[in-house]
Amino acid sequence: MDAQRPAILAQDLVKRFGDFTAVNGVSFEVQPGQIFGFLGPNGAGKTTTIRMILGLLKPTAGRAEVLGLPVAQAAAQIRPRVGYMSQRFSLYNDLTVRQNLTFFGRAYGLSDAELAERMRQALDMAGLAGREHVRTKDLSGGWRQRLALSAAVLHRPQVLFLDEPTAGVDPVSRRAFWDMLYSLAAEGVTVLVTTHYMDEAEHCQRLAFIQRGRLTACGSPEEIKRSLMPGPVLELAPADAGAALQALRRAQQAGRLPPAEIELYGSRLHVVAPEAHRLRRPIARALKAAGLDPGPMDLIEPSLEDVFIASMR
Amino acid sequence: MLVRIWALAKKEFLHLRHDWWLPAFMLIGGSMELLLVGWATSRPITNLPLRVLDHDRSPASRRLIMALENTGTFELDGFASNMASLRDSLDRGEINAAVIIPPDYAKQLASSIGRPTVAVILNGAESIPASEALRAVEGVVTHLGQRVALQRLRREPERFAGFDPSLRVWFNESLSKALYTTPAELGLMLEFTVLLFAALAFSRERELGTLEQLLVMPFSSAELIIGKAIPALVVGFTDFWIMLAMVHAVFDVPLRGSLLLLFVLAFLYVLVELSKGLVLSVISRTQHQAFLLVMLVGMADFMFTGYAVPVEGMPRALQFLANFVPAHHWLTILRGILLKSAGLDVLWSHVLALLLLGAVVMTFSWRFVRRALD
Repeated sequence: MDAQRPAILAQDLVKRFGDFTAVNGVSFEVQPGQIFGFLGPNGAGKTTTIRMILGLLKPTAGRAEVLGLPVAQAAAQIRPRVGYMSQRFSLYNDLTVRQNLTFFGRAYGLSDAELAERMRQALDMAGLAGREHVRTKDLSGGWRQRLALSAAVLHRPQVLFLDEPTAGVDPVSRRAFWDMLYSLAAEGVTVLVTTHYMDEAEHCQRLAFIQRGRLTACGSPEEIKRSLMPGPVLELAPADAGAALQALRRAQQAGRLPPAEIELYGSRLHVVAPEAHRLRRPIARALKAAGLDPGPMDLIEPSLEDVFIASMR
Repeated sequence: MLVRIWALAKKEFLHLRHDWWLPAFMLIGGSMELLLVGWATSRPITNLPLRVLDHDRSPASRRLIMALENTGTFELDGFASNMASLRDSLDRGEINAAVIIPPDYAKQLASSIGRPTVAVILNGAESIPASEALRAVEGVVTHLGQRVALQRLRREPERFAGFDPSLRVWFNESLSKALYTTPAELGLMLEFTVLLFAALAFSRERELGTLEQLLVMPFSSAELIIGKAIPALVVGFTDFWIMLAMVHAVFDVPLRGSLLLLFVLAFLYVLVELSKGLVLSVISRTQHQAFLLVMLVGMADFMFTGYAVPVEGMPRALQFLANFVPAHHWLTILRGILLKSAGLDVLWSHVLALLLLGAVVMTFSWRFVRRALD
C-alpha cells in the first residue's frame, strides 16, 4: 500500500432510498493505524455509510476507497483484507465458539496450522480459553462481542469496521473491548468504529459527527470541541436538579434568562452558551425566585457529550 | 475456492444438525403424505351409502336395487319412507346417492310400450364420488335397457351378444390410479422440500443479521450459492430416493427405464428447483416471507404436475404456461422413465426445457445474491 494513501477514503458519498436521502455527501479520510470514531444519533446514516464503504450497498453518487483500492471495482481484492462487525451480532448463535472461529478461518483461507495458532490467540484475546465448546448463544453479551471481534480479526485484516460494537454491553466489558481495539491499533490496524457512547468517542484519535446524512464536524476530539464549543460550560449542582431545570426553562420562556442550552447530567445541570460565566447571576436569581437553592456553580471544560448535544441542535 | 465452499457447506450442515427437526419433518412428513395419498387414491371408490324410496315394492324394483348394489360402488343404507326424509339425509351428508322408484315401475317394464323411469339423486357437492356413482348407475341402466329391448323383440337376452370392443391399456394395465398420482405426489413433495431448504438459505441469515458478515467475507457469488446449495441438494436427493423406493415397493409403480438416466435427470431437476428457491430466498426479507413464497409457488406448480387435472386437458393458455414450470417437465420425464421406459431420444425436449429454465433462474439468483442488502 502507498504510504501516502489513507486507509479509508470516502468522497461525496450519497445514498438515496426512494425519496429518502440516508447519506448526503459524506467525505472523510482515515489514516493507517488510526482509530476513527463515527458518531451520530440513530438513523443518521452511519451504518449506510459503512455499508457503502464495504461494497454492500451501491452508492447513489460518490466513491469510496479502501487501502487505496476503489470499492466499486476492486471489492473482491478488498474483502480478504478487511474485517467487519455488523451492528447486529455477526456470529452464528447455534454454533459453538470453536465452530464459529473455524468457519471464519476457513472462509478466509487459513491453513490448518495458521487456524490452530490464530484460534488459540483469539480465545486468549476474548478470554474464552476453555470454553470453545460453548454454544455462542449461551455466552453473555460482553463475551459475545469480544468473540465477534476476535473472529473479525482472525484473518489479520488491515482495516477493521465496527458498527456499534458495544451497544448493550456492560461498562466493564466495554473497557475490555476497547483494550482489544487499542492493541490492534498499536499493531497498525486501522479501525473505523461507530458508537453512541461519548466516553468511547474520547478514546478515538479522530472523530466525525454525522447528522441527517451530513457530516457536521470532523477532527480530533479537541479540535471538535474547539470548533463547536467556544468556551467552557457552566455546571450547576442544585439540590433538586429536576425542579431547577424546569424553573430555568420557565425563566427562559419568560425572557428573564438569555437563550442557552440547559441539559440534565445526572444530578447536575450543564449550561452551554457562548459566554456561560455571565449567566451565573441571572441563573441564581431565577432559581431563588422559584424558591430553589442554586448550589455551587463551576466553569468546566466541555465534555464530548456537551459538544455532541450542542451540535445536534 | 473449494476450501471456502466446503467451509460454508459445513456450516450449513451444522445448522441443519441443530435444526434437525426441519429435515426430519420434510423427509418423514413428505413420505407419510405420499403413503396416505397413495393409499387413498389407489383404491376404487366403493360402498357409497345409498338410500332407496321404493314406491313400487315389486320383484322388478328389488332386482334394480340389487343390480345397483352388485356394482360394488354402492352399499344399500336402507329404505326411506318418504321424500322429505330422503332430502334430509342428503342434506346431512349421510348418503351419497338416492334412488326413487315410481309406483308403476314394474308395470311399465312389463308393458310392450311402457316407459319405465327411475330417479337418481347424487350428492354433487362431492363431485368425485358423484361421478363414480353416475358411471355405475349408467352402467346398470344401460344393461337393463338392453335386456328390456331384447325381451320386447322376443329374443333371449342371455343368448344375445352385442358390440364387444377389445380394450387394452398400455403402460398401466390395470389402470391403477396410484401409478398416476404417486409420481405426481412424489414430484410435488420433492419440489416443496428443495424449495423450502433453498429458500431458507439466505432469508435465514438475513433475518439473523449474519448475511452482511457473509457478504463481506471473501466469497464470490458462485461460491456462496454452491456452498448454500450443497445441503439442500443432499436433503432433496435423499428425499427423492426414499420416496422413489416407497412408490416402487408399496404401490408397485414399476421402474422400467434406466435408473442412471433417472438419477442424472433428478439431479438436474433438483438443481432447477434449488435455484428457484434461492431466488425466493434472496428476494424475501424474513424466513416467514420465504416460507409463504414457497407455498405460493409450490401451489401454483402443483396445478401443472397433472395431479388434479392432466395438463393436456387444460385450456391452451395454461398448457403454454406449463412449459415454464419445471415440475411439469420433471413429471413427464419421471412418468416416462418409470412407466414407459422412455429414453433421452423421447424426453430430450423436456430435458432441454429443464436446462434452459435452470440456466435462467440460476443466473438470476447469481446476479442478485450480492444485492441482497440493497
